[in-house]
Amino acid sequence: MRLSQVSFRYSRRGPWILEDVELALRPGSVVEVTGRNGAGKSTLLRLLAGFVPPTRGSVSGRPRVVGYAPDVFPTGQPFTVSAYLAHMTRVRGASPAAAGDLARRLNAVHLLDLPLGDLSKGSAQKVGLIQSLLGPPDLLILDEPFAGLDEQTRAELPAVIGEIAARGGIVVVSDHQNQLREFPGADHCLVADRAVTVHPAARPAEQDPGPGSEPDPGPGSERDTEWVLGRPAEPDPDPGSGSGSGAGLGSGSGSERDAGRAAGQGPATDRRAVIEVLVDPDEADEVEQKLRADGYTARRIL
Amino acid sequence: MTRLTRFKLSAYARSHRLFQPAIGLLLMLGVFYSTLTPPGKELSAYADSAGLLIVVFAWAARSLLDTEPAAQRLVSMTAADGPGREIGAGLLAAFTVNLMFAAIAVVTPLLHGFAATPAPGDVARGAVLHLLGLSAGTALGALTSHPIMQSPAASMLTLFGGYVALLLVSLTPVGRFTVPVMPWMRAANDGALDTVLLPVTAAALFWSAAGLAAYVRLRRTRP
Repeated sequence: MRLSQVSFRYSRRGPWILEDVELALRPGSVVEVTGRNGAGKSTLLRLLAGFVPPTRGSVSGRPRVVGYAPDVFPTGQPFTVSAYLAHMTRVRGASPAAAGDLARRLNAVHLLDLPLGDLSKGSAQKVGLIQSLLGPPDLLILDEPFAGLDEQTRAELPAVIGEIAARGGIVVVSDHQNQLREFPGADHCLVADRAVTVHPAARPAEQDPGPGSEPDPGPGSERDTEWVLGRPAEPDPDPGSGSGSGAGLGSGSGSERDAGRAAGQGPATDRRAVIEVLVDPDEADEVEQKLRADGYTARRIL
Repeated sequence: MTRLTRFKLSAYARSHRLFQPAIGLLLMLGVFYSTLTPPGKELSAYADSAGLLIVVFAWAARSLLDTEPAAQRLVSMTAADGPGREIGAGLLAAFTVNLMFAAIAVVTPLLHGFAATPAPGDVARGAVLHLLGLSAGTALGALTSHPIMQSPAASMLTLFGGYVALLLVSLTPVGRFTVPVMPWMRAANDGALDTVLLPVTAAALFWSAAGLAAYVRLRRTRP
């Protein structure tokens, strides 16, 4: 599947949301889409899913069976969970047993007899995931799928995503919480400034670098390109200690700084700022994840 | 698409949104036939009913198309293999509901409303006029539905204002070139419906098709 020179705006005189986006999604790929609120993540997902046509450019090679789970599942519908899923199963022409199997897997059997309107956010999210997996999809688009999920489902979802990818499906996940940062082989996509920057999947050596052993991709690598395209500079108050936690591509690493210098950006210290943020200990994980999802390096100083 | 149409109809019926236009329909039929229509005036009564019920047909179409939340429309698009099928299923569901309403409007006076049973030809002509009314009403309802008009107030004003404008314009000499509601009412009252039925049908279907085409075109960027 390929997006070629895709630009999009919602009205003729409206601002461009995305401009000249080039994106190729190969079968079996898993792509995590991150970016600030309002950056255009949902618009990118809508273009990928085919809900709207691009204003300019083209989208080609979209798989026929598409699954989509919205960020907020619409519970304002007059059905029980089982009646709703039965309708969606029939519309998709899926196996009648598919919804039940998925409900068991995502720990949602106890929800089947409940009206949609009685569901909590996390339970509704499960129903949205189940309907998106009926098919099964060759292109699965999940908009913030981890929000509100219980631990068991949160742990199961990456396995489901991996299975779809393993059978040649494409999975695109808008993931503000960066839950897929450790997902093996996942590409990362940053939506910012009307552009989409692709961070290819981390190589095995990059996934778990030891202290002081960060890989340096060298000039001309993909990561050089990311830097040149304007990735945020990394605030690292202690450059000598390595990047510490979150060494995946989505959270950046010291090697990007090195690559930036190699690409002629000048001393990285000229473009850095350190912001100290004091948060409640219970919220620390969430804030750290959000910052990383937005492309910044966040470090916990206890 | 048929299965998605059934899903939309089921959601519409279960949501009780169906009751609003249904009550409107029954109230209007109650007014139309509060006194028995004398023999020979059945076609005129049918023509008035078909023209005045356009607003009910529009209301029904709008409320049906608004039943699904926006996110569910996106889900339905993927489930039905594309936006076109979701849009088509919505319109098909709206036509189905309005066909049911039109059938009630045609049959009710046969049971109570006409002093004498009209000729089968007049019943058929009445049914054709109701089909024209439901086509125009469905198009008007679709164009004022939530994906096209986000504001409920603007949507309702446009729906009722559009219907009144339709009636007023059709009173003027250019009325025959719009949805010719008043011309078909006058012709039926004068006993001359057969002479205008063809151009009236063509004009009504043309504008209904134009309205539906505009709706489909606008939905491309308003999923």
